[in-house]
Amino acid sequence: MPERIGDILTLLMGALAVGYVVYEIERRRRKLHDIWDVLDEEDALLTAELEEMVERGELQPFAGTALA
Amino acid sequence: MRALDARRNEVPAASVSQEEGVATAPRFRIFILDAGWNSVAHKVLVENFALIRGLQKDDPIYVLSREQSIEFQRRHGTRIGRDPIIAVHDLAAMDKSGTTDFHGFRLSLGLLRTPQQALQGLQAFARFLVTHRRSTDLEAEIRADLRREGLAGAIEIILHHEAREMGE
Repeated sequence: MPERIGDILTLLMGALAVGYVVYEIERRRRKLHDIWDVLDEEDALLTAELEEMVERGELQPFAGTALA
Repeated sequence: MRALDARRNEVPAASVSQEEGVATAPRFRIFILDAGWNSVAHKVLVENFALIRGLQKDDPIYVLSREQSIEFQRRHGTRIGRDPIIAVHDLAAMDKSGTTDFHGFRLSLGLLRTPQQALQGLQAFARFLVTHRRSTDLEAEIRADLRREGLAGAIEIILHHEAREMGE
């Protein structure tokens, strides 16, 4: 009986370890995508706004070397 | 953040080579939005901007003023707290399909909390731009790099777990 309980505990701990690794991988994947991401149709509005600012002359290519 | 380093699908250099010291046609438009939070990422960007500028001579960089950045974020609230944001518009992709599909990428530098993370993020960004200027399928390369980074993260987690197990 104690051996059986030991097996169950080992299985449980193994499942928890795997679950943690999967959770951690997913968490890191999401964080990475938050930091680096592609621009697609969801960003179309923002992209258009920036491009329009350039076309209207509100934004000019930065000519200096240092940011204020 | 490790290097995003795929070097595939390259097209010939535009017009005149960089080795000859003549500017090539812009591939990207780079926009910097920064409302000026007192953050580590803001400081790292300001301190290293000259270097970024030097590395990205062939592509125009548009820096929104603090007021423009704040106004922009008032209209797009989900971006608050992620700045400095560096958005890169891929002119080749935009010529092909406008903004309805893939058309660039962005780095939300403000999400990186330590100076080292922010600096590494900025360096990875600069490296990525320089090495992918001639890419014919930038989207595929970015997605492949993100997958690779995810996989590297997974390996790192497993190795840490194993190391802990071994240490006990």
